[in-house]
Amino acid sequence: MQEWQIVLPEKKHKKKFFGNLLEEVIKPAICSHCTACAAICPVKGITAGDRPIDFPNWLKDCVDCGACVKVCPRWDYRPLGGVGSYIEMFSARSKRFLGQDGAMVTEFTATALEEGIVERAIFVARDEEWRTRTVSIIDPEQLKNRKITGTKYSFADVLPAVKEAVLDSKAVAFVGTPCMISALRKMQRSFRKFERVKLAIGLFCTENFYHSQLSEFLAKKGVAMKDVLKTDIKKGKFIVKKADGEITFPVKELDGIIPPGCKVCQDFSAVEADVSVGSVGSEAGFSTVLVRSDIAKRIADAIRARGYAEFRDASLEAVKKLCDYKVKIHPYPPKKEG
Amino acid sequence: MKVEFKARRLDLLRMHLDVIREAFKQAVAPDRVTVEYPRERKKYPANFRGIIVFDKDKCISCFRCAHICPANAIQMTFYEKAWPGIDYTKCIFCHFCVDSCPTGALRSTKIHDIAFATMGEMKLNAVQMLKAPELTREDSFTVEYVVDSQGWRLEKKAEIDELALEQFIIPEKRRVSVCVDPESCLGCRLCVELCPNDAISVDRKANKLNILPEKCTGCGICVRNCPMKVLELKEVK
Ligand SMILES: Cc1cc2nc3c(=O)[nH]c(=O)nc-3n(C[C@H](O)[C@H](O)[C@H](O)COP(=O)(O)OP(=O)(O)OC[C@H]3O[C@@H](n4cnc5c(N)ncnc54)[C@H](O)[C@@H]3O)c2cc1C
Repeated sequence: MQEWQIVLPEKKHKKKFFGNLLEEVIKPAICSHCTACAAICPVKGITAGDRPIDFPNWLKDCVDCGACVKVCPRWDYRPLGGVGSYIEMFSARSKRFLGQDGAMVTEFTATALEEGIVERAIFVARDEEWRTRTVSIIDPEQLKNRKITGTKYSFADVLPAVKEAVLDSKAVAFVGTPCMISALRKMQRSFRKFERVKLAIGLFCTENFYHSQLSEFLAKKGVAMKDVLKTDIKKGKFIVKKADGEITFPVKELDGIIPPGCKVCQDFSAVEADVSVGSVGSEAGFSTVLVRSDIAKRIADAIRARGYAEFRDASLEAVKKLCDYKVKIHPYPPKKEG
Repeated sequence: MKVEFKARRLDLLRMHLDVIREAFKQAVAPDRVTVEYPRERKKYPANFRGIIVFDKDKCISCFRCAHICPANAIQMTFYEKAWPGIDYTKCIFCHFCVDSCPTGALRSTKIHDIAFATMGEMKLNAVQMLKAPELTREDSFTVEYVVDSQGWRLEKKAEIDELALEQFIIPEKRRVSVCVDPESCLGCRLCVELCPNDAISVDRKANKLNILPEKCTGCGICVRNCPMKVLELKEVK
């Protein structure tokens, strides 16, 4: 095509688009740090990483294209919540992989790769200090690496990696928190290329953390990140597993470092995902799985047919309870402090 | 027995005569395979890869030559625009630069035999490349190998081959940038900013982008830099 048109979102402030995002999302502290804006910014000016979203020098460098506003899940924010619609729900444990709970996120990804449903998947790996890093999975063998599976309670630049992936691959999968899943849907509605994301695996999520703040907090508890083998949040407790034992404390203690953007999020179960996975609703060592889309159903059926996982019943009640709880503790608009 | 011997003697005699005739011939008008350079020069084909000349009026400063050079021998320097200079201490005469130039601003000559006094002199800037280097020519003949049913031979003509070529024109397949996925366009207008030929226009009121095929040189800068890879070079008739 030689001539084409661009649809621009409506501005709410007489500023460049990033200025609008700043006024509407970042300053009011409802930004979820999903990193969609950083992913889409054509001049790569928007920064994410382990710090709040920013665009140093945006007055000069922002090209005012509006892409960041188009993909932001918190622009014109209407919170999603509940268990959402699903085709089937079960509790399962992969027989092939080890992960946070039943490694079903990993199992879905491996099977999607093996079935040729996706060419690659974006995962979040960690280093010795538990800093996050995205990895591109093209071979299920990579998923044997325990630093690649498992939960990291720190933000990760997943969507920038997803964006790079869709430029080269026609079928991509990724794993993300509910805000990332919602952001991806907005990206898909705004820019056709993101239809190449064929499988969006959502994680149950109450909150996430900045790595620096979490490690500082744990340091005060006498825990060095490099000694940590696993972190988990179960029944209101933050659990840190180390080689020489376990440290447990109430999640409430972390309240001061829960990012404000998480505190207006009501989507626990990632309602817009193709498949949502979490630990709530299952016994230890199993993952709760909500199969929501046809593609996810195809993968679940393949896992079943090949006997790759052990299946049990999941507790819908337990999941519902957490969904309701999240809506309750995260009102939107946020309650004024004091 | 006797008859056989006679026949052999005749053969031997013939062979000796052949050798003597050949010896005479080579003494008077010898055959040869070598070229008597520099008194004569071999005729080079039109696509010979020699010293490169530069046409500043055609250059659009797209940097393609500098980017493609595998020996990193091309340095862009700013004059009226950014123009290429070639460092002949590095150049490997692959002529990727000539082939990649979308406007034919770089072209080859048949000159390969120039001497530089110092390494420094081998670094030519765009201005020095505007004309073919001057040669003192000592040749008055052009030779050419001819291969036919009688074998091959060297043919010598009393003429001088023109070494500074007119542009060697390959029938052009013109390609222009086309938006193949407008629904993924971010509207960032980086392509508009980067186009060295102002071939992409933007209508800020109607939010429309437009590629003007008659202005597009097919240099591909916009294609390479599009953050969503929605542009491609497509052949035009
Ligand atoms: C920040 C966060 C908060 C969570 N909160 C809850 C909760 O409150 N209740 C609950 O039931 N479950 C929660 N989960 C999900 C739970 O911890 C497990 O990830 C889930 O049960 C899947 O387990 P699994 O063994 O099937 O996953 P695995 O097979 O081990 O795979 C884990 C996947 O998670 C991805 N991942 C890890 N860290 C991140 C990250 N920071 N960002 C994006 N992707 C990541 C990895 O790439 C991997 O694909 C949370 C997860 C995260 C990341």
